[in-house]
Amino acid sequence: MWIENTQYDFSYLRGYKQPASVLIAVGGGKGGVGKSFFSSSLALLLAHRGFDTILADLDLGAANLHTYLGEKIEGKGINEYLLNPGLRFEEVIRPTPYANLRFVSGASEGHNISGLTQPQRSRLMSALFNTPADFVVMDLSAGAHDTTLDFFLMANRKVLVMTPEPSSMENAYSFMKAVFYRKLKRHEAQLGLTDQLAQLMAQRQELGIRTPADLLQWVALKEPRGGAQLKHFMQALKFEIVLNQTRSMHDNELGPSVKAVCKKYFGTPCELLGHLDYDNAVWQALRKRRPLLIDYPQSRLYSQLFAISKEFANVPFKRAVV
Amino acid sequence: MKHLGIHSQSYYDILEVSPQAPLQEIHRAYQRARVAYSPDSPALYTMFTPEEAKELLRLVEEAFTVLGHEERRRAYDEQLLREKAMRELPDFPDPQQDEELSSERPLQGQPETHREAPQTAPAFVFAREPQLPQGHARTRLSTYPLNSEMEEEIKQTREFNGPTLQKIRSYKRISVDQICDETRIGKSYLVALEKDDFESLPAAVFVRGFVVQVARLLGLDEKLVADSYMKNFKKYKN
Repeated sequence: MWIENTQYDFSYLRGYKQPASVLIAVGGGKGGVGKSFFSSSLALLLAHRGFDTILADLDLGAANLHTYLGEKIEGKGINEYLLNPGLRFEEVIRPTPYANLRFVSGASEGHNISGLTQPQRSRLMSALFNTPADFVVMDLSAGAHDTTLDFFLMANRKVLVMTPEPSSMENAYSFMKAVFYRKLKRHEAQLGLTDQLAQLMAQRQELGIRTPADLLQWVALKEPRGGAQLKHFMQALKFEIVLNQTRSMHDNELGPSVKAVCKKYFGTPCELLGHLDYDNAVWQALRKRRPLLIDYPQSRLYSQLFAISKEFANVPFKRAVV
Repeated sequence: MKHLGIHSQSYYDILEVSPQAPLQEIHRAYQRARVAYSPDSPALYTMFTPEEAKELLRLVEEAFTVLGHEERRRAYDEQLLREKAMRELPDFPDPQQDEELSSERPLQGQPETHREAPQTAPAFVFAREPQLPQGHARTRLSTYPLNSEMEEEIKQTREFNGPTLQKIRSYKRISVDQICDETRIGKSYLVALEKDDFESLPAAVFVRGFVVQVARLLGLDEKLVADSYMKNFKKYKN
């Protein structure tokens, strides 16, 4: 394939520039699967390791990440940032009681994730993109709204949280499909493949195109050059899965299965970061409004989270696989 | 015509192992894939239909039959290398076909992939649509002529013991060595199993596992065979 041994310059395409930090997006479709729990714990552990970490609550309209950290709603947050065009993003990042960890609150009455205007969205995205730090952990909202998908696609590390229940898997899968097609849509215009893809989608019954992986293969056949380029871009879409609230050995086996199914379905890389056991300590800690990691450092969950955070900490710095 | 989609993947891609993976790893990958694509796997929900999952499972079995066997795997590797070499040949158009190339190809129907692989594929690599001689049937390990009396007899059998299994095995033209290779059950155990020599067999749990594996290779109902065999076995042990 021509793309393998030639270095092409893609700098004219949007999304080429590297962010000023390692951006970690935590999404996953369904509500209540533990996105906020996971992102707050991950940010805390990365901060513990000595990395300059920012935790951003992007679940606008239903922000509650401060509760996981035991913080109060006070001071400026994303809401104020969006309302005042003169405000700089640094001014809404506030310190927390924990070393190396800073926090951006999303609490507001005014804004909803679906109510963001295009300029507001762009401004917020650039701010997150250009804020210098070691890690920026973004806690996304449930559902597959365009804004959420864009935040997710912007990140270097795309983490999906799901639980072993069929409803959660279904939502996670549909979220992944939405992400895939949003990225595809962006690149198809850039590469001039819009007509070709529309044609293929129209004939997908006759051609036997059932999965995104099939679709990419067909594009590569019909348009060798653009297709290879498209495949190259789509390969950058790497989902990293966290299986939360597992309760039995049987649940733990589900992780590798999900990974295999996603790989076959999308034809893009997919990693399993690990699984987190179901633990009552989570809601006990939440009742006390104290982070679990501070109160229960001996728990099994702590070691599982610790192992996952290592996956992030060990990347070659600021050159994470996008 | 080459197949697209899942059928175009190599056996290594299907099992998601590297071509250099040792045998144990292929074994593990096979077990993982069987769990992932089993009909009741929750991971498949809304991604693949049951029919697609069945096809995937069939491909996984097929991949393991080749990669799990040293000889077959080596031959398969050679075939892959040959195909790769063919693909990487520089693509000079044939001057005589120049005109044909320049005319626009219709977009409908199956497009042509790269050059066809040489037609010297080794015999053990399964054809995608198996073509059987008239009046023959196929198991995973063998092809055998159909005998309606025998088929009927197998269908009627409810009680399976060692000699019955042996009879079915020789009818289906599978040797003990083949089963031995495939399942990694010791040959002495297989022989004892067929002779109903319960004294030489290990504990009941193991024997049940053996019987299930043998039944699966013979294309019999695993549960039925294992239950009836184990009844005899337990009667003897008590």
